[in-house]
Amino acid sequence: MAKLFHRGLTFRFVFWILVGVASVFSAVLGYNGYYSRKLIIKEIERDAFDRAVSAANHLDMFLKSVEKISENVSYYLETGSYDAEGISKLIRTVVEKNDEIYGAAVAFEPYAFLPDERFFAPYFCKKDGKVQFREIPYDYFESDWYRIPKSTNAPAWIEPYFGQAGAIIMSTYSVPLYRRENRERRFVGEVVVDISLSRLQKKIASIKMGDSGYGILISRKGTFVSHPDERFIMKETLFSMAQAAKNPSLVEIGRKMLEGSPGSAQFYDDFTGKKSEIVYVPLSTSGWILGVVFPKKELMADLERLHRRMIAIALAGFMMVMGIIIWIAHSVTRPLRILTQASQDIASGNLDVAFPSISAKDEVGKLASSFAYMQASLKHHIRELTETTAAKERIESEIKIARDIQMGILPKVFPPFPGRSEFDLFATLVPARDVGGDLYDFFFVDDNHLCITIGDVSGKGIPASLFMVITSTLIKIRASGEMHPELVLNRVNQDLAKDNPSLMFVTLFLAILDVRTGELQYCNGGHNPPLLIRSDGHMFPLDAPPAVALGVVEDHAYQSKKIFLKDGDALLLYTDGVTEAMNVHHELFSEKRLKKAVHAMRGAPVKTIVEGLLHRIDTFSKGAPQTDDIAIMLLRYFSKTPRE
Amino acid sequence: MEIEYVGKEKEAVVAAVKGRVDAVTAPEFEKQFSRWIKEGNTCFLVGFEQLDYISSAGLRSILVIAKKLKGQSGRIVLYGLKDVVREVFKISGFDTIIPICGSFEEALEQFQASPPGA
Repeated sequence: MAKLFHRGLTFRFVFWILVGVASVFSAVLGYNGYYSRKLIIKEIERDAFDRAVSAANHLDMFLKSVEKISENVSYYLETGSYDAEGISKLIRTVVEKNDEIYGAAVAFEPYAFLPDERFFAPYFCKKDGKVQFREIPYDYFESDWYRIPKSTNAPAWIEPYFGQAGAIIMSTYSVPLYRRENRERRFVGEVVVDISLSRLQKKIASIKMGDSGYGILISRKGTFVSHPDERFIMKETLFSMAQAAKNPSLVEIGRKMLEGSPGSAQFYDDFTGKKSEIVYVPLSTSGWILGVVFPKKELMADLERLHRRMIAIALAGFMMVMGIIIWIAHSVTRPLRILTQASQDIASGNLDVAFPSISAKDEVGKLASSFAYMQASLKHHIRELTETTAAKERIESEIKIARDIQMGILPKVFPPFPGRSEFDLFATLVPARDVGGDLYDFFFVDDNHLCITIGDVSGKGIPASLFMVITSTLIKIRASGEMHPELVLNRVNQDLAKDNPSLMFVTLFLAILDVRTGELQYCNGGHNPPLLIRSDGHMFPLDAPPAVALGVVEDHAYQSKKIFLKDGDALLLYTDGVTEAMNVHHELFSEKRLKKAVHAMRGAPVKTIVEGLLHRIDTFSKGAPQTDDIAIMLLRYFSKTPRE
Repeated sequence: MEIEYVGKEKEAVVAAVKGRVDAVTAPEFEKQFSRWIKEGNTCFLVGFEQLDYISSAGLRSILVIAKKLKGQSGRIVLYGLKDVVREVFKISGFDTIIPICGSFEEALEQFQASPPGA
């Protein structure tokens, strides 16, 4: 119990503090994680964007220079006059002098340069390090590179394509060419410049972001111009890839990218197999889109490592706090445990257990001093109680001795006179818990005269028992050799009343039976009249003149009466403990029940009748305490000389 | 047991006793009358109409009270006894030394016919 209590207290204390500490730690860690993540993401995105813009500027610069050359050629041709040789020379020079230019041509409208030539498009391109002349061998008017600038009347970058039999990826920049006629500019053809995109691809390939981040370049139609996976290049578009990946969100992202403004998007990258982000910027020259793709998680690895370390540190801190708190809780509850142990010892009866001195001035210290005080008072009270109990036990033992003495002077051997066949006699006294003052006695006053008497002293306890002993002794003395009951009562009454300050009294019935004749002289001093039970079953209380109990009126003159007992007649003497025995409903056993019981048993031996009566009284008053002594005496007379 | 002070009738205290007067309640019974006697009352008319039981200890208490009053030329008269109580008085012979009447009127009449000290 005490251990459980202690464990409970410590446990609760530790538990709630740790709950609090854990909440604070998690809140701090959580906020830190959330906020630093946000910062880092912002930083990463900015970095990616910077890289994209820088790369885009680089590409734009390159493309711009190509544009410039083409436009210069176009301007030169428009303002000057030229022949076929001059054009060839010009183009050759352009190709030879510019590394970035793979090939160049001037393509004229049908019959625009020579009236008899439908096609005129001298073309110089590099091959094996040398510049060679070639005719464009096909009807080029419907090719994209010719048609688009002509229809929009503006220079244009053409979608990249495989050139040189699939060896390199190329793109073409076409600038419309005009001729001034009659102050009007007439479209006569186009200056066309081919470039290899390998330089752009190299630049894109140099973009790195984390371990697996990479750059891409996409044409205006969404075709991959540059991608770390070469199989994508010129073969896949954003949309074909979205379809292959069954990822419709990629379509949306692709559409956004092709709208022509910078932006960013999140997506699942099948190439790296990671959740990634793309940052994209359109090239201002060709309108192609440069993108930087990077798996965010990878870039956050450092952050996550930091975060894990912080969690580890927090956990270690938590364990340390836990240890400290457990130690504190333990030391706070230690005096309580000592107190519990001490009070347990006290509870188990060891009042002399040395109380631990707890010097703390706190609540526990106060509790300890209260306990010490309680121990002292307990000791004091228990000593008092022990003394009181001892005194009570002494008194009770004295009362018991008094009762034993009282019972000892009553004759208890039955049959009392084994040689006598003139009568049967049985008597008993059941004492109440408190000592009562009932008495009975029987003795021969001479050879033929049997004296029987029964009495009840007023009140209870030691005084009653003392008075009863005195009365019994007086009767024995005064009845010796006396044949007249009234004289015995007169004398005993005088003895008792003479000096009786406590005004105690005794009701007494006394009779003297001549066993030869059955003559019964009797005298009643305020006692319940005995019941005479005739052998024929007729029964009645013995009538007697009214007389006061003994010990009250000193000069009272008692009077005797006489009756003859016949063979088989019986006399039942009893005290009011019989008729006033009470049951739990406060009903008295009463004379009526007594008569009924006696009548039912009238033929039985005297002992059987008396015991039967006791049994009935006991059954009747079951559950209710016996408050008064019960005394019963039954005498049955047997005549030697049957009378008429 | 309860003792109720009913009032005074011609110098006499009229009281009513209820319940049981036995070994347990007798000392209280005796104490109440001793208090009244100490206050100077010497005559008592005591109604036993609601007295259910009286034991020998109760009889002794009445005896003690009667003896005290005798010394001061006083008197106690009981009236209205139930049959069971009356029987106790009769058997013990106490009805020969303590005046007992059937009703209050009868008790008052007897009290007036032979005033105390006469």
